[in-house]
Amino acid sequence: MHGMTENIMAVLLLINLALTASSRLAGCIGLVAMQGIAIGLLPLFSQEGFTPRGFFLAGFVVILKGVFFPRLLTNTIRNASVRREVEPFVGYGFSLMIGTALTAVSFWLGTRLPLPSSPAGMSLVLPGAISTILIGLFLIVSRKKAVTQVLGYLVMENGIAAFGLAVVSKIPLLIELGILLDAFVAIFVMAIMIYHISREFDHMDVDQLSTLKG
Amino acid sequence: MVYIENMIWLLAVLPVLSGLICRLMPSARLVMASTASGVLVIAGIDLWVVITVFLKGPMTSNGGWFRLDALAAYHLAIMMLVFLLSSFYAVSYFRNEPDALRLNPGSARRFSALWHGALAAMTLVLISNNLGIMWVGVEATTLLTAFLICLHISAVSLEATWKYLIVCSVGVAFAFMGVLLLAASTGSPVAGAPILQWTYLHGIARTLDPRLVKLSFIFLLVGYGTKAGIAPMHSWLPDAHSQAPAPVSAIFSGFMLNMALYCIMRHLPIVTIAAGTAGWTNNLLIFFGLFSILIAAVFIISQHDLKRFLAYCSVEHLGIIMLGLGLGPLGVFAALFHTLNHSLCKTLGFFSAGRIGQAYGSHDMRKITGTLRVNPLWGGGLFGSILVLIGVAPFAIFMSELILLKAAADAQKYFVIVLFLIGAGAVFMGALRHAIDMAWGEKPENAVSTSDSLVDLMIVIAPMAILLILGVWMPAFFRTMLDLAAGIVTGGRP
Repeated sequence: MHGMTENIMAVLLLINLALTASSRLAGCIGLVAMQGIAIGLLPLFSQEGFTPRGFFLAGFVVILKGVFFPRLLTNTIRNASVRREVEPFVGYGFSLMIGTALTAVSFWLGTRLPLPSSPAGMSLVLPGAISTILIGLFLIVSRKKAVTQVLGYLVMENGIAAFGLAVVSKIPLLIELGILLDAFVAIFVMAIMIYHISREFDHMDVDQLSTLKG
Repeated sequence: MVYIENMIWLLAVLPVLSGLICRLMPSARLVMASTASGVLVIAGIDLWVVITVFLKGPMTSNGGWFRLDALAAYHLAIMMLVFLLSSFYAVSYFRNEPDALRLNPGSARRFSALWHGALAAMTLVLISNNLGIMWVGVEATTLLTAFLICLHISAVSLEATWKYLIVCSVGVAFAFMGVLLLAASTGSPVAGAPILQWTYLHGIARTLDPRLVKLSFIFLLVGYGTKAGIAPMHSWLPDAHSQAPAPVSAIFSGFMLNMALYCIMRHLPIVTIAAGTAGWTNNLLIFFGLFSILIAAVFIISQHDLKRFLAYCSVEHLGIIMLGLGLGPLGVFAALFHTLNHSLCKTLGFFSAGRIGQAYGSHDMRKITGTLRVNPLWGGGLFGSILVLIGVAPFAIFMSELILLKAAADAQKYFVIVLFLIGAGAVFMGALRHAIDMAWGEKPENAVSTSDSLVDLMIVIAPMAILLILGVWMPAFFRTMLDLAAGIVTGGRP
């Protein structure tokens, strides 16, 4: 059972690295969707187990992060008719190196955090979560397009979900639902904003949003 | 009384109901008028609840999910005051907008819905006893208020909204990691223990793992600090405040920032008790507070945009409140007193800036001259509010800053006094020059005078009167309120 947790976390780490190196916007959306599904299934194989509550939450997350968000973002970039490349500030090779370095840092941090002893077979969850959060942050600051910032935010959210799993035994259902609702509204609001930005500016490059200063 | 106590959650539902009713109104004017009256009714109910809390002690409901104690009730009162003033101001503000920006029924309904939504989310933050729900509420305010900034869609307003959305969402996500770490610091609790409940955590604070609690506090400080506009996480704040319509800037500055700071205040007693000493948190709070004051001072001196100037004043004053939180019981008392003063004064400041901006067609302080002759009411409001903001005696902000300095002197933190005076002094000089130029100076040709209603007069007079009265005389019941609220922050029994 716990072997499965490790497998999922390994997939998550690989997706992180793939995200830093992939150049196609559509590919990135697909990768983030896969990561969302993996995060949704993770609780089933750790604390939660195959309980009704576990299945309910997992189904909810998988539909939201695996189906709804990617659809919404794909529609947004189609309506905004943007170029399909990611356009990073730093090159893909260099991004990949930074991604690897961040992952290494996460493994070091994972051993330093004074957490109450985590269950056996969860050794990858904490470093994986920290790495996902850091790479999400890196994607937010290093990519030009508004859509890639949203993707970075989603990756960070996934990381925090995994982090929660690693450090807290059980979050009450009401709060889980509240967090998911917030994520849902956040992505929805961001998608509408991207639509308006692309209509107003004929682009959605955030590095050109620089009129307001001082 | 039992049935009332179990109804706290209704406070967050009321704005939603009022928002739904306002959607049914046929014209933009009716939507705005019903929004104002809806908020008035809610304010009445909230006032009654606040008084009940101060007379009878904290209320808990729904198995401990919701709770209203003195600290929350005090903030609830400030919130309703800010929303009440802003809702009535919004009616006249939007009526005086130039034709191109006038609200149509659709955009008025959108404004009203988001306005009520923001009110509901902020109420949820204040009434929740569960730190997870509190976080959900904070994140919800970010999302609900985003479209209020770009109510009038333009290139700059979209830019401001996007920055606000991304910076605050990411910042607040950090706060959630703080909440998770705090929950983790309980170790291995008994199954089913409400590990995110504030009263539970407060009760067992001594047994929490101090290292994890400290780590969580850093995340919380950065996360909620972003939302509170504490430097260096304030980058979104001047943009959002300057581009939003004036009533929205007023609720941002008047309460949303304080709401985020309230979340930090909530966590403070737990962290202090768990760490065994207040010294560690105090140093962090003093550092961020002073840093905000000094950074804001630099930007205020070189500022030309009126609303950005007021926005940086918010960074300064939120810094002052945070500084007060780090200066012991008397400092906390001053910080809470300052919270009310700043909210009232900044609300009036943004109100006046909005109407003056409409009269001059610009927010450039070099073009806004002779406001007292163009529009005595709002020109006077602007001049008065800037004077109060920079701490002119005998108004209330002068008093709260004086108490704060006394707290610093009592704690023998003399470098705090020096740095505070440098920052406040720089702001004083920079702001006074702007204020005098704007109030007197040449009256330009293009400025349009508008007629002001009795409500407008009330909106200017009421905050100034309260600030003056609190500056010269603090009523006994108000002192008791502040003492009760401050007692919670400093870790006394709730």
